[in-house]
Amino acid sequence: MTMKPSLKIEKSKLRLPETELFGPGSRACAGCGELLAVRHALKATGSNSIVVSATGCMEVISSPYPESAWKTPWIHSLFENAAAVASGVESALKALGKSGIRVVVMGGDGALADIGFGAVSGALDRRQSLTYILTDNEAYMNTGIQSSGTTPYGAWTTTTPAGAVKKGKETPKKDLVRIMLGHGVQYIATASIAYPIDLVNKVKKAVSVDGPSFVHISCPCPIGWHFPPEKTVEIARLAVDTGMWIIYEVERGILRITYKPDRLKPVRDYLVLQGRFEHLSDADIEKIQSDCTKSYENLVNRDGKSLI
Amino acid sequence: MAKKRTASKIQLAVGPGTTSVYKTGSWKSYSPKLGERVASCTNACPVHIDIPGCLLLVEEGKFEEALALIRDRSPFPSVCGRACYHFCESKCTRGDVDEPVAIRSLERFVASFEPKSKGILVSVGKPRGKKVAIVGSGPAGLTAAYFLAKMGYRVTVFEKMPVAGGLMYTGILDYRLPKKVLQFEIDLIKRLVDIRTNTCVGKDITIPDLLKQGYKAIFIAVGMHGNIKLDVPGEDLEGVLYGTSFIQDVNLGKGVQLGKRVAVIGGGNVAIDSARAALRLGAKDVYVIYRRSKDEMPAKTEEIEHAREEGVKFMFLTNPKRILCGEKGCVGKLECIKMQLGEPDESGRRRPIPVQESEFMVDVDTVIVAIGQTIDPSFAEGSPLKVQAGKPLSADPDTLATDVPGIFAGGDVVTGPESVVEAMAAGRKAAIQIGHYLKGEPLESEKELQVVDPKDIDISRILSLRDMSLKVRSKMPKLKPGERLDNFKEVELGLTKETALYETERCLRCGTCFGCNECWIFCPDAVICERNGVFEIDLDYCKGCGICANECPVKALLMVPEGG
Amino acid sequence: MGRLEIMQGGAAVANAVKNCEPNVIAAYPITPATIIVESLAEFVADGILKAEYINVESEHSAISALIGASSVGARTFSATSSQGLALMHEALFNASGLRLPVVMVVANRALSAPLSIWNDQQDSISQRDSGWIQLYAEDVQEAVDMCVQAYRVAEDPKVLLPAMVCMDGFILTHVYEPVEIPPLEEVRRFLPPFNPKNKLIPECPLSFGMFADPSFYTEFKYLQHTAFMEAKKTIKKVASEFCKSFGRDNYGDLIQEYRTKDAEVVLVSMGSLIGTLKDAVDDLREKGIKVGVLKVRSFRPFPSEEIYNSIKEAKAIAVIEKDISLGLGGALLLEIRSELYSKPKKPITLGFIAGLGGRDIPKPSINRVVEKAFAAAEGRKAKEEVEFLDLRKEMI
Repeated sequence: MTMKPSLKIEKSKLRLPETELFGPGSRACAGCGELLAVRHALKATGSNSIVVSATGCMEVISSPYPESAWKTPWIHSLFENAAAVASGVESALKALGKSGIRVVVMGGDGALADIGFGAVSGALDRRQSLTYILTDNEAYMNTGIQSSGTTPYGAWTTTTPAGAVKKGKETPKKDLVRIMLGHGVQYIATASIAYPIDLVNKVKKAVSVDGPSFVHISCPCPIGWHFPPEKTVEIARLAVDTGMWIIYEVERGILRITYKPDRLKPVRDYLVLQGRFEHLSDADIEKIQSDCTKSYENLVNRDGKSLI
Repeated sequence: MAKKRTASKIQLAVGPGTTSVYKTGSWKSYSPKLGERVASCTNACPVHIDIPGCLLLVEEGKFEEALALIRDRSPFPSVCGRACYHFCESKCTRGDVDEPVAIRSLERFVASFEPKSKGILVSVGKPRGKKVAIVGSGPAGLTAAYFLAKMGYRVTVFEKMPVAGGLMYTGILDYRLPKKVLQFEIDLIKRLVDIRTNTCVGKDITIPDLLKQGYKAIFIAVGMHGNIKLDVPGEDLEGVLYGTSFIQDVNLGKGVQLGKRVAVIGGGNVAIDSARAALRLGAKDVYVIYRRSKDEMPAKTEEIEHAREEGVKFMFLTNPKRILCGEKGCVGKLECIKMQLGEPDESGRRRPIPVQESEFMVDVDTVIVAIGQTIDPSFAEGSPLKVQAGKPLSADPDTLATDVPGIFAGGDVVTGPESVVEAMAAGRKAAIQIGHYLKGEPLESEKELQVVDPKDIDISRILSLRDMSLKVRSKMPKLKPGERLDNFKEVELGLTKETALYETERCLRCGTCFGCNECWIFCPDAVICERNGVFEIDLDYCKGCGICANECPVKALLMVPEGG
Repeated sequence: MGRLEIMQGGAAVANAVKNCEPNVIAAYPITPATIIVESLAEFVADGILKAEYINVESEHSAISALIGASSVGARTFSATSSQGLALMHEALFNASGLRLPVVMVVANRALSAPLSIWNDQQDSISQRDSGWIQLYAEDVQEAVDMCVQAYRVAEDPKVLLPAMVCMDGFILTHVYEPVEIPPLEEVRRFLPPFNPKNKLIPECPLSFGMFADPSFYTEFKYLQHTAFMEAKKTIKKVASEFCKSFGRDNYGDLIQEYRTKDAEVVLVSMGSLIGTLKDAVDDLREKGIKVGVLKVRSFRPFPSEEIYNSIKEAKAIAVIEKDISLGLGGALLLEIRSELYSKPKKPITLGFIAGLGGRDIPKPSINRVVEKAFAAAEGRKAKEEVEFLDLRKEMI
């Protein structure tokens, strides 16, 4: 008798909710980090929700007429109006007396942090009960890797290429968490696809909050960041292990870092795996390292304290 | 469904989850495959037992299934569980962290469940109607017999000794492998094949006879039992014994004349076993005399330690020069000379060179020479096989074919003295090749195995996923040295069930899925899903990104090119 | 039958909308539409209207919120003008493509630059390709009635298109006129509850707003196109039923004809100017001049047949409109001309651009237009192809 090789996974031992509310058959690139984030976020938001997507990778790969990968009610309108459309959905549910259905806004960095930012700000001001899930792949990937407000310092994109005179993006990432704090959001979290249980817990908390909530997920993109697709999760993990991406939550203004590596790895380990950073000189990497160490220490010093 | 479609035309609204009509599996050029890679222990094992798979079954309490897994590759789990040189442990990934998993002891533990299953795991295959003759009932011969019988061939094993088992019987002493244990496993094979002891091929029956009797293939597995002489003056005195013969006599229960002061010449396991047997037979002083230093000694370190514990004394960098006569024409003294190490010789070890004028005397009454074996060519009598004196029988290392079609050879007779498990590997290979030959198929060498690189194993992640901490290797309970000396009782007592379960958890499961579900968690497209009660990778949708293989902490998944 | 009240135009429209019971209102202020949403805010604040009122941060978000709300199955409303409508541009196409029956009042106002808060119809006319039904009101009462009819037309399952009710900014929004607001109970009888077949609910999860590749896109546009054809019939039907239910039939359906039966010259226009034109025509008729007015009430869908049948006997028509497709001419003129092209019998057509940026159009100017039309009918060609009425030559 030869043992037939088979996956020994048992249902009872699954560490995340089992139901899949997305796909299969979506046109996402092989190894897409955003797709993994959406898959996990949906496990937390559940089927009693309405998802409002902005134009972007996740919308395009999921909805080629006449197909749709979404198993929750879903609407896509335009690029910059997801938060406004979601406001309308939330108001309509209230007006029609339908309670308990959570409205989730899903968008990338372009849709929620740049062109759609105004709509987000307006919706936050209205304190409507919307959960914003920002799947951040650090550029406008759907249109072919252009620079966005969350593209990190030094990264190559097609609109911030590395050439003889310019060396990639010259400004740092937008600090969306602080912007959310400025809007008085009561539950803000950052998460990583490499820590899925943490991600799911945070989204679960976010959808149960009264009023707006925001979860910012770091999603490596093999095509845009230039690395082989099997390394997506590994790179997400390295981002956290080097301190380049810190995962935490801010509840009513109080910071709680949910995972701290025992010892930070050098950022070089993270940068060297991505082709979008290959033009960086040692001096550039040193600068990135010192900026990273500083931000990390600043945040760690405030762990448990108010960020306001 | 049709109604929805009409509505959707007007409203650009469609039903849920309908992208499933698009099979993204067509995108991939690599597929994740399970079971394509073996752990480094499995690779090191000459018979390639799926060790992590076996240990996983032990952890789950499925002892009979674990035994069946071993028996898929080896007919002698009890033997190897005691006497194997455990090549597996030397390549155990765990060994990079603390100490290797006690794999051999666990094999013994699993083998202990054989009696309960009443040997129902061993049975013949559907008859194919052809006969195969095997010369020699040692590990190579019996293993070949076992696998050929499972394939459905009628096998007859010819053994010149009165007992079957070859060196497993005559060369391994009871304190390591009790005869009862060995006999039980040989008896299981006897149910499948015909073993004819006291039948010497080359004398009682020749190879041409066998061919005339209708045997369609012959496997030569006679081993290498000729003693190599020391070639010193006095070697023909009474009291000079040869290691393998001495141990054989002990094992066959023949009375052995041994003195009180024994010198064993040699540095291999035969020398050590000779020394330990001598102690048990009443010798007061036992010396092992070896011409190189301890580091070059070929014997297994643990054997050397056992010998030391029992009181064997070692003389390194020493060589015998002459055996001198004592009373009554027997051995009385041994003249030795000190050695020093010079340039490496053809074996790669530094050549020992006598130190001028360093001779000294040792009082001994018995000298056991255990410096190696040579071939006994009598089996080839009357056959077209060419055997050169002092040289091993030549056979292709991959196909085991000799230059006579239909005659195969393997084990010590071809390789020189090697371990039991290596002989078993040869036996298994022979069975496979004979199988090809008898079906008229071309002989082919075994595909090279893909091995998990221990460097790729993320140990801390595995421990965290299994919610375990690093645990030290368990200790094998043994007879105290004082309890061993006047008997041949088994020294190692075997792991208890509790210890075995403790030890089996130490295995990191390299290359074997243990159900951590990281692949399920990290697949972006969620193509790892439940089908008919088991979790599988749905290749209709898998895009071949490789995240599952990369995240698997034991590297059980391998990305294999499509169509390849 | 309700009672007649003197009301400001914007407030009147708000009252009508209140009785249509929208579930979600998105509000962003812009002169001169602001008054409409302010009135609605008060109704909501006093609990008179039970609706969710979203103070959005831009018009783009206003229409977007309504897209979201409508897809959940809510009846929706907003009001805007000029820059706000222009900002909504992409979303207007989106709402129509998604077949959501949003209703919006556009208080027509000129577009920047130069900045102007006063009336013309450039804003809504510029959106004529966006896939929205466009109805133009002659006076406050008509604007009020149009709101009720707009919901009925838009929400019709065979139509399912968004609709804008266009009323001239300031001229109709800020004027006080006697008006009868259709009472709540009668509106409830006239307007069935909005219950779309496809909506966003977890019990039946649907996906709205996919992308369509070249093999599918055209068909969606075709279906919208045919919906407009259907809308023509629906607008007529609804207007007629409105008459029966509310007893008012003096506004027309797709068009309205005023003394065009034997007219030699017909003046064609949209919106509040119609009132002035009717007055001018009455004066001219007393002098024996055979002139009439064709009011285009529905600009989209464009009532080609109805317009043709109305003007085919005339010798000349003068299209007076408050918009221009720069470098070419007024949209209404151009569309009428293109409809007449293939017809064997057609009047001479003259176009006049008037009232841009809120400039008054007094009766003497209209009389001049009539003269020019008669002159053209007699074969005397006009000096310019496109004439800007009352152009201040000393400024240019």
